[in-house]
Amino acid sequence: MTTTATYSIVGGDYDGAGSASKQLKGILKRIGVEPKTLRKVMIAAYETEMNTVIHAQRGLMKVAVDPTQVDVAVEDEGPGIPDVEAAMQEGFSTAPARARKLGFGAGMGLPNVQKNTDQFSIRSTVGLGTQVRFRIFLQPQASSAPAPNAVHVAPGLCRQCLRCLHACPTQAMRVRVDRPQVLAHLCVDCASCIEVCEAGALTMDVTDALPDSSEASVLVIPVSLLEQFGPDVDPAAVLEALHDAGFRNVQHSGAWETALRTAVEAYARVETGVRPVISPMCPAVLNLIQVRYPSLLGHVAPFLTPIEAAHEQLTVPHAVFVPVCPSQHTILRSPSLLSKIDVASASAMRRAVLERMGEPGGRHYDAAIREVPRNRGDVLHASGMRRVVKVLDEIENGLKADCGVIELFACSQGCFGAPVWDEDPLVARRRYERSLTWYRAQGKQYDGTAKAGAVRRIRPLEPRAGLRLDPDMRTAIEKLARIDTLTRTLPGRNCGVCGAPTCAALAEDIVLGRASISACVYLDHIPTEEAT
Amino acid sequence: MKLDKLARGAQAQVVAPNGGDSVDIDRVYAGDRMSDLLSAVTDSTLLVTNLSHTMLMQVIELMDVPALCFLHGVAPDAAVLQAAKESGTAVMVSPDGMFETCGRLYAALGLLNAEGQAM
Repeated sequence: MTTTATYSIVGGDYDGAGSASKQLKGILKRIGVEPKTLRKVMIAAYETEMNTVIHAQRGLMKVAVDPTQVDVAVEDEGPGIPDVEAAMQEGFSTAPARARKLGFGAGMGLPNVQKNTDQFSIRSTVGLGTQVRFRIFLQPQASSAPAPNAVHVAPGLCRQCLRCLHACPTQAMRVRVDRPQVLAHLCVDCASCIEVCEAGALTMDVTDALPDSSEASVLVIPVSLLEQFGPDVDPAAVLEALHDAGFRNVQHSGAWETALRTAVEAYARVETGVRPVISPMCPAVLNLIQVRYPSLLGHVAPFLTPIEAAHEQLTVPHAVFVPVCPSQHTILRSPSLLSKIDVASASAMRRAVLERMGEPGGRHYDAAIREVPRNRGDVLHASGMRRVVKVLDEIENGLKADCGVIELFACSQGCFGAPVWDEDPLVARRRYERSLTWYRAQGKQYDGTAKAGAVRRIRPLEPRAGLRLDPDMRTAIEKLARIDTLTRTLPGRNCGVCGAPTCAALAEDIVLGRASISACVYLDHIPTEEAT
Repeated sequence: MKLDKLARGAQAQVVAPNGGDSVDIDRVYAGDRMSDLLSAVTDSTLLVTNLSHTMLMQVIELMDVPALCFLHGVAPDAAVLQAAKESGTAVMVSPDGMFETCGRLYAALGLLNAEGQAM
């Protein structure tokens, strides 16, 4: 169902310029893409192709088409763009005189690409090159529908302990009859419910089989995997074991995290006066902001999260990711036509490492590194959903304006605290920071070999749709009043026995037809006027 | 409006019809910046430009532009003419510069009222 093609682009070859776009046009015409859409694809393709011809030594245009979309990545080897924000401005150009004489270099190229595409991202590393990726949908997208979340419910296992109800930061859980239910429009894909579910009824639904590790595959592991093997195992030994298991090309998320950190610090320093700047590190936190704190969307630095950036950048034939939480899994499930994306479970990867790891060598750097620098620079870290909610409340109330950048993680100690891991989050994170410090002191690259970069988020984040009580505002106000009255009738114990996390949530469920008032087990025992 | 009628109105000469002369032209775009014309032209646009090179012809082909008008009485070179033939684009040459040519095309398209003012 997907057609793919790769065309090469030669830098400086003005006479051959346009041939990649022309070949793409041939494909699209043959499959019957309608003229209006074809026109948009051609504008975007030609502009990116010309950018490579004008600025770079060489490049590749990778194309994938299926009945729903055209997905294009143009990757070049060239000087890179020092200031992507400036390059996105209309009229900004660094094109040489030769290009300008031919009518290029008006500074409209990238803005033109953005205008004519449905999704667009750009990543550039000075001295290495630039990658532009864009998608154009062939059918109208249901953009207002909330993304399907990745919390998986196994109904037979639920013991109705109700812990998930009370753990959920957005009151998205319901436990009715025999199983937990997730209200998709409220779920932010954090791991709070999975973490407290001892029965195993809430999981991530990732296959436990070890993924295929052919030559063409790239394995992207979370950095937290490296620190799951006790105090004596060097991260290098973990990477070696993965290599022995057949994964010749392993990259880890730390590379994209470091790239994002650098980019956000520069953004906070140079580009914005908004304080604090919220670093888009954890996708679950961004979901939470879209659902509960839409007024803070302007605080979020305009970059993709590290997992999105990795997903966007890898245009290799086959990439295997190891999601550690539902929010990562949801991102990895969004279609990538250019690359076949598989996910592997954290436990499968850990098993693969353990099976192939020889005698663990001692951590040779323990003695050398005693001090672990904490909270470098002007960055405030907060992790764990309860803490995150508190910090966001405070920012919304105008506090914390003295902080430069805030990094928030849904799990305790960031991804080290994801429920897929056994190692204590504090211990694992401390080990990671020691490793990082040691590797840096040795002048070695701990962050992997990936050409990772921060990717600009061109289309701003928007508040989550579907939260309104009713499309009609008058009806919504009426419903709100009914919910309010009903809440006051309910006992206010917030016990959760009815299946809703709070009495107010039950009241809303009743008014919206999701539950009946008989669900409340205490209501009958409240003495009414008649009974007394 | 068909190209030959427009050409008469603009006092321009169609040097190579290439099949593009059969297209009904409903708008004219004049410009010399590649990005602008890339995003402005359609499959029923007559493009008036000072540019004359093969990169221009690539864009013409990609965007299915039916007709081109070159200026100052200068006919394009053989490579450009060949490219126009391959992409089925009609080529005409106006004896004057962009301002005069556009003025005449504007009138020819019937965009002036009886008093000679723009509608």
